[in-house]
Amino acid sequence: MNHLEKLKRGLSTVLSALISVAIGLAFGFIILFLLSLSTYASAGEPFTLKQVFDTAYNEGFLRLMKGCFYMVRRGLKTEISQAAPLIMTGLSVAFAFKTGLFNIGAAGQYTLGAFGALYCAIVLKLPWYLCLLASVLFGAVWGAIPGFFKAYFKINEVITSIMFNWIGLYAVNTLIYGGGTGAMYCAKTTKTWVIGSGVYEGTTIPNISVFLSEKPQGLGLYLKDTSIAIFFAIIIAIILYIIINKTTFGYEIRACGHSQTAAKYAGISEKRNIILSMAIAGGLAGFGAGLYYLSGVAEWQPLVSTSLPGFGFDGISVALLASSNPIGVIFSALFIAHIDVGGGYMNASFFPREIADIVSGIIIYLCAFMLLFKTAISKGISRVFGAKKELEGGK
Amino acid sequence: MPNEILLLIKYTLLYSSVLMMVALGGMFAERSGIINIALEGIMVIGGLIGVLATQMTHGMNPVIQVAVSVIAAGLAGMIYSMLLAFASINLKADQTIGGTALNILATAIAMVIAKRVNGSQSSKLDYTNSSFIFNVFGIDVNVFLFIGLVFLILSFVILYRTRLGLRLRACGEHPQAADSVGINVYKMRYIGVLLSGFLGGIGGFAYIVPAVQSWNFEVGVAGMGFLALAVMIFGQWHPIKIFFAAIFFSLFKSLANIADSVSFLSRLQWPKEIYNMMPFIASMVVLALTSGRSKAPKAEGIPYDKGSR
Amino acid sequence: MSEYIIEMRNITKVFPGIKANDNITLQLKKGEIHALLGENGAGKSTLMSVLFGLYQPDEGKIFKDGKEVKINNPNDANALKIGMVHQHFKLVEVFTVLENIILGAEDTNMGLLEKNRARKKVLMLSQKYGLNVNPNALVEDISVGMQQRVEILKMLYRNNDILIFDEPTAVLTPQEIDDLMEIMRGFAREGKSILFITHKLNEIMAVADRCTVLRKGKYMGTVDIKDVTKEDLSQMMVGRQVSFTVDKMDIQTGKTVLEVKNLTVPSKLHKNNAVKNVSFTVREGEIVCIAGIEGNGQTEFVQALTGLEKIKSGSIKLYGKELTKLSIRQRAKSGMAHIPEDRHKHGLVLDYTLEQNLVLQRYWTNEFKKAGFIRSKAIRKHAVRLIEQFDIRSGQGPITISRSMSGGNQQKAIVGREIDRSEPLVVAVQPTRGLDVGAIEFIHQELVKTRDSGKAVLLVSLELDEVMNLSDRILVMYEGKIVGEFDPKKTTVQELGLYMAGGKRTNEQTNEQTKASLAK
Repeated sequence: MNHLEKLKRGLSTVLSALISVAIGLAFGFIILFLLSLSTYASAGEPFTLKQVFDTAYNEGFLRLMKGCFYMVRRGLKTEISQAAPLIMTGLSVAFAFKTGLFNIGAAGQYTLGAFGALYCAIVLKLPWYLCLLASVLFGAVWGAIPGFFKAYFKINEVITSIMFNWIGLYAVNTLIYGGGTGAMYCAKTTKTWVIGSGVYEGTTIPNISVFLSEKPQGLGLYLKDTSIAIFFAIIIAIILYIIINKTTFGYEIRACGHSQTAAKYAGISEKRNIILSMAIAGGLAGFGAGLYYLSGVAEWQPLVSTSLPGFGFDGISVALLASSNPIGVIFSALFIAHIDVGGGYMNASFFPREIADIVSGIIIYLCAFMLLFKTAISKGISRVFGAKKELEGGK
Repeated sequence: MPNEILLLIKYTLLYSSVLMMVALGGMFAERSGIINIALEGIMVIGGLIGVLATQMTHGMNPVIQVAVSVIAAGLAGMIYSMLLAFASINLKADQTIGGTALNILATAIAMVIAKRVNGSQSSKLDYTNSSFIFNVFGIDVNVFLFIGLVFLILSFVILYRTRLGLRLRACGEHPQAADSVGINVYKMRYIGVLLSGFLGGIGGFAYIVPAVQSWNFEVGVAGMGFLALAVMIFGQWHPIKIFFAAIFFSLFKSLANIADSVSFLSRLQWPKEIYNMMPFIASMVVLALTSGRSKAPKAEGIPYDKGSR
Repeated sequence: MSEYIIEMRNITKVFPGIKANDNITLQLKKGEIHALLGENGAGKSTLMSVLFGLYQPDEGKIFKDGKEVKINNPNDANALKIGMVHQHFKLVEVFTVLENIILGAEDTNMGLLEKNRARKKVLMLSQKYGLNVNPNALVEDISVGMQQRVEILKMLYRNNDILIFDEPTAVLTPQEIDDLMEIMRGFAREGKSILFITHKLNEIMAVADRCTVLRKGKYMGTVDIKDVTKEDLSQMMVGRQVSFTVDKMDIQTGKTVLEVKNLTVPSKLHKNNAVKNVSFTVREGEIVCIAGIEGNGQTEFVQALTGLEKIKSGSIKLYGKELTKLSIRQRAKSGMAHIPEDRHKHGLVLDYTLEQNLVLQRYWTNEFKKAGFIRSKAIRKHAVRLIEQFDIRSGQGPITISRSMSGGNQQKAIVGREIDRSEPLVVAVQPTRGLDVGAIEFIHQELVKTRDSGKAVLLVSLELDEVMNLSDRILVMYEGKIVGEFDPKKTTVQELGLYMAGGKRTNEQTNEQTKASLAK
């Protein structure tokens, strides 16, 4: 009974996630097909549906699904580098969910984390591990603010987080740009300075090559330039899993998440818990930005100031897809990074890369009512195993 | 100086009509019991379809052009909001998550469509907006100011003076009570969400078209939908108060636009971003101050299940 | 023309895992007051929901005046002139009385609401039946008794003449109950037919003509009230003889455990204080009961006592130790167990498993915690022991999700958890609300056992029978004040009722005199 129950709960969660993914991809394919059709149609030359289908499949869908493996030499590094921050923002959202909070502010916390890391690296020229610490602190502060508003003013954290996303974005851009003369701003590239070499030696996270032999073979060859950020992300996911499920602190935050009133009755300070868990969530998101920007794969662009970093919002898909399970987050982040990289490899003259965003948007939409799938699947499993529900009385 | 004041008034009018319409939309949804955080995305979709309609009706009679594109924007928002209605009413999904999904989807959809229309890698669409702008007493006034005022009056009358309004409010406060007197809660909530989609769609269009002649859909509507949510909360879910809240927020938002051209402001040498931040900071302060007296509909955000009583 | 205005024949309604109604027949005559009697969970509400169109029956038919009818929703019920006063009022609090009454049956004029005509009709009805309702008042501003009258007016406004009252007396004072009975009799005299759902035998004996009894979803029969006694009805309802009394030996009280002095608690609903200057003590080996009508400050008092809400002034001492400045957790550690009023809101984390809930007040002790980690084996052992000891039944034992358990077993889990902590003081708030007789008896026995072991029990209850049977001392709370203290052996339900309704008040000195004068 015990095992069946556990199996049922676990299996139905995984299956419902897979169903969401499948539906999301199916929609993605339909869109690819339509785009392909419209391209052929507007070209004015005769064509067959098979051509339309083949183009949609070979130059679109297949590359989307292949992700980094379409061009593994460069792709793998990109995908792994993106997966690390995605795991972190995913963990950020997932952790807040466990406390019953919706951290839509991961994007803002990520922004602040990026600022903290880059400031320490470029201006203070600190070693990378201190920069990482700074990214955590900056993100944590930015997460704690909505927590504070929620705990003391009872303002919904969603609305506060959204406001602080924008406030954070404008503030960080202003500070970095500094009217074109900011210390972190390189006017030539309109980005922050490239770190990792010269005066910035030691500000970037080491590469995987530190673990590898002199002349790596196979996957190692593609990964040697990739930073070890991904390992940090995975380790933190595992730690978080243990904290949530095996410690009394985890017991408390989950109690808060399920029922604020019952948690209060049990003597758990809900104010402290809300602020603390938002701060932790913020720290996680900020750390994600640290992992990304300190890996030296990208620079911050203060002039692109009207949209928030996508990693923050993708964290929501990642968390939802994983049903807020930290271990699941690792896999769902890899998946989202995978199709995002794949999106970039599609034939751009037919298919804009934002199709990957559409797929992930559809997945979030489906996740909003994933419970429906879960219940259905759980019933199905019960039927398969012939287990009778021993419901006794009551309504 | 008077020029600068005129400019400030122009932008304030522009933004307040946008914020008011979208906030009124949010109000209808929330009064029926559905939190509509998807307003941002609805605005994007409305804006996109409105712009496309404007392009298509280029050269036609201005009145027809305005009518067709405004209605197209409204209907597009309405259809898009149906996704929220379906998820949160029929499937009893988490409304905030569903709304967030629609926000993310909207920008992606808009970019895919815009790129397709352009046939290029750019998601920037060009159009002419002359049909939408009049000059009244030396100020450029756009047609959305009038549309907005009409919606304001209509919203008030519908909400407080009609059968629909009474039933809608009942569903947002106590759906079980509404159900027990034979009101179809699902239907009312659909009406609330679709109205918000209609107003949000037009609001998105109103934000994009009058101000500039080209729009890059990469930026969506840059947080205006969220600001409208703050306007709605500050306006305590009441049309008239929303009207004043919209003006208040627009003033801040307008400062960002004219900061460079207004002498006394440009002398401060503050970066534009500071002004961009202001409405968001103002909304946080205001929300914190008014938090104790919230008049939020009691049943908002809670899916209604006929089975459970 | 049929003898019956409404006839429900062989109704069966199945919910997943439970047969709520099993082949039930109910026949309502025109102009009668017909009681529907059954324990909590016997299927009364389900049956009425079927009649009102909220549920569709799986089997069975409904007849109105001998003709079969289909009732798919409340609108159909309304068209058949069936109206219902729900147990939990279906009123929009921020609407006016008038808006609530017309909701769903609004008149319009050129698309706009026509309120003036409706207001006149409401005033006319209110006057005719002596309901005394102000149509312009906001519902949130009027008393619970008035709100019930608004519900009654909703039915009258729609010209209903089959009126269903679902447990209408639970929220009323004895005086208000008498008024309601009079109103119901008036309706019956006018030819309206009344279905009166209750589990209170006295009320049935007082007002009903006939009574249909349900037990565990099954039909037990219909009787003429003039032919039966209270005992007969209770036998039909429960299926065995119930001695509504609890065996309790006299024991010596010990030291003072709890001392409350001049406690004042602000209200969240209005500007006044909810609890006003309350003082009393509870000693070892006694059950002290706070009796009163719902909403007279009991909830606020308990929340202030346990630390869930802040107090305005006064002191709370446990064995002489001042608690008022302490947090909820510190108060629990100081020796206070708490069986909360609302088991879903406070008592349980519904999505936690049973075993997780059973340590809700103890997970932080060394028994269940080691270096910050949870000792899951200890939790399982603890759960298995409590499940055995308190007979908590559930689908999958310790790992059952608490939400899926029946109300009675949820409550047993809470009672077990709190009593097992063996704290010197147990605060129990309406511990038997909504439970069936078996569970009620069990919980009563546990509370008495706790008292017999030399602990102090503070019981807050709305049920006068429970108050009379369990307590060693009774305090009556009215409008936030303690208005009288009584010895259950020397007082009567009638006397308590008078105090609970605010008709009388004493302090301890004049208590005896009052009783003497009442005795004359």
